[in-house]
Amino acid sequence: MTTTAITTRHIAKAYGDFQAVADVHFDVYKGEIFALLGPNGAGKSTTIRMILDIIKPDKGSIEVLGGKLTEAAKNRVGYLPEERGLYKSVSVIEMMVYLGKLKGMAGKDAHKKAMGLLQKLELADFAKKKVSELSKGMQQKVQFAVTVIHDPELIIIDEPFSGLDPVNRMVIRDLLFDFRQRGGAVVMSTHQMNQVEEMADRMLMISRGQQKLYGAVDDIRKQFALHAIVVEGKGDWAALPGVTQVEPHSNGRSGALLHLAENATSDSVLAAIAQSPTMQIEKFELAIPSLDDIFIRVAGEDKAS
Amino acid sequence: MNSIRTIFLYELWRGVRRKGYLFATFGIPVILFVLMFGYNFIQSLQEPSAPDMSQFDFDGIEHAGIVDLSGQFTEIPTALHEILQFYPDESAARTAMQADEVDVFYVIAADYLESGDVTLHLPDFSLSLLNNGPVEQLVYRTLAPDASPQLLQRLGEPVTIEPYNLQRANDAAQDEDADFLMIYVFTIVFLMALFLTNSYLLQTVVEEKENRVIEILVSSVTPGQLLAGKILAMSLLGIGQIVVWIAALLLALRIVVDLEAFATVTVLLNIRIQMDILPLMLVYFILGYLLFAAIYAGVGALAGSLRESSQYVALFSIMAVLPFYVFTVFVQTPNGTLPVVMSIIPVTAPIAMMMRLNVTTVPPLEIAISLLLLVLCVALLMWVAGRLFRVQTLLAGKFPKLRDIPNLIRG
Repeated sequence: MTTTAITTRHIAKAYGDFQAVADVHFDVYKGEIFALLGPNGAGKSTTIRMILDIIKPDKGSIEVLGGKLTEAAKNRVGYLPEERGLYKSVSVIEMMVYLGKLKGMAGKDAHKKAMGLLQKLELADFAKKKVSELSKGMQQKVQFAVTVIHDPELIIIDEPFSGLDPVNRMVIRDLLFDFRQRGGAVVMSTHQMNQVEEMADRMLMISRGQQKLYGAVDDIRKQFALHAIVVEGKGDWAALPGVTQVEPHSNGRSGALLHLAENATSDSVLAAIAQSPTMQIEKFELAIPSLDDIFIRVAGEDKAS
Repeated sequence: MNSIRTIFLYELWRGVRRKGYLFATFGIPVILFVLMFGYNFIQSLQEPSAPDMSQFDFDGIEHAGIVDLSGQFTEIPTALHEILQFYPDESAARTAMQADEVDVFYVIAADYLESGDVTLHLPDFSLSLLNNGPVEQLVYRTLAPDASPQLLQRLGEPVTIEPYNLQRANDAAQDEDADFLMIYVFTIVFLMALFLTNSYLLQTVVEEKENRVIEILVSSVTPGQLLAGKILAMSLLGIGQIVVWIAALLLALRIVVDLEAFATVTVLLNIRIQMDILPLMLVYFILGYLLFAAIYAGVGALAGSLRESSQYVALFSIMAVLPFYVFTVFVQTPNGTLPVVMSIIPVTAPIAMMMRLNVTTVPPLEIAISLLLLVLCVALLMWVAGRLFRVQTLLAGKFPKLRDIPNLIRG
């Protein structure tokens, strides 16, 4: 049994003269949350639409759940597009059952599953209400329920938390974790880097249609790590052996960023602080940039070039 | 196939619940019957038009003058002595009216026997004086002085027509008016069903696009399946509607001949419904429906809003009804050049052929050519609509430039 949910090989798509996606190449595994990142217009939506066979790639190949995306395979995929789509003038339950049936479910099963999901999302009382009568946050939750009503093996989800308050954000996040726990694969396209850091196992960043970063989130962050440490506390940091430069830390709090000499290590600096009677530390960590910093840097470099 | 069935059933269910559809399908026939029976009822309440010869109540007229220029009326009948008075000319009568000797006066024209013209002169406009009873009494009692009141009554309404329509049984003679009415009614019914249900199709396509449901739908089913399910559902709704209307029409025509109020509308009696051409008309309806369904769906896929799409489909709708604008040509020369050409061009063929089939025998070769072209055109437009459905998710709510449409169709 394959462990790969999506395999793309050198896919490319152009609209007229505009190259939306050029030579993108990645895998998504079952049991992981995979983040698809990139600035606006980077080619994320085009990539997703190619995976879902909504549009055909000009070049390259795509396999979903072990083969071409047939009608049967589509029934094993859940999709939540960036621009949310719901029938406004029909009842929540009617719409959910219809969309469940389009995913190959029997009417009764779809109804039962829809009610279960609405219960879990605290929307059971709104089952017979028209979608247009729901608040934006409720509609978001219904949209998520529609995405998973047929128990898919792969979920492709664009900006999963947009329009949700912190409580509902947690509810959806936990459902996604639970889905991953059960062996499902999640492709999450988002601009919210903190969520990627918190939730994603691996990531792909594209910019102007080009693949920029690809791999485990932690690995990529380490790849961008500076030869520096972040400290918070009291003391003359510049006097420490191996420290070449001290600058305020970009988080704006009381911390300092200590740049190290080539032959110095974080261990040697920590030992020096421990031996100094005049220094006190409250925080000591490797200066690993946030995904936000990495995103801005990569996207910025791409723009400059 | 399952997906098509699911979409078909869902769209059918949504369609039959639309208030507009229910009203159009059942409300219009109900209105037809209400008008028909209502008119008959109102007519039956009205007093008979024939004068009541025993009555000498002429509303506001107690005395009336007569100026007879025809020379047919030499003396006032006894029964009218108290009411009528002869005057030699108009000015004498006018003087008498001004002196309140008479309330009104009638001038019987010199050519009365040929024309029947009588002029009523009033002192001022008054509805109570608008009464032709006194002069009618004069005419009847002078021309038939010995007639009994019953005979005079019968002379007022000489015949009551009891129609027996031989044409319906024999299909013998042509009645151009009846043919005209037939074309008119059937074309209206056809066009209404065609455009009404296709407008629902357009609405659902644009709605799904505006709501962005389309992107979820095409991630579950192919654009072709989506299009097929929708069109099949709307076709069935359209056919259902036209069946209800035609059944109501046939029933109305059967009933109307027995209604007294319509007894003299002979054109209704001569309407011939040719049951043998109904199957062919149904084929043209279905093909015409599919042709416009493809056009409507394609436009809906390209347009950003319902208002915008309505403007574009109106262009095609005008083309479809072109034969209707020249229907007199179809009635007078159904096998002339214009009707033949229009019944072969696919966009005008459904209406044009239906109009011709109602009034003439169309050569089978023309029907074959027309059907072949129509089928090819439907297939081509369905393919184009399917392609446009596939790319519609990429269009950001704005109708593309005409020169970009071939690229979109190519994908």
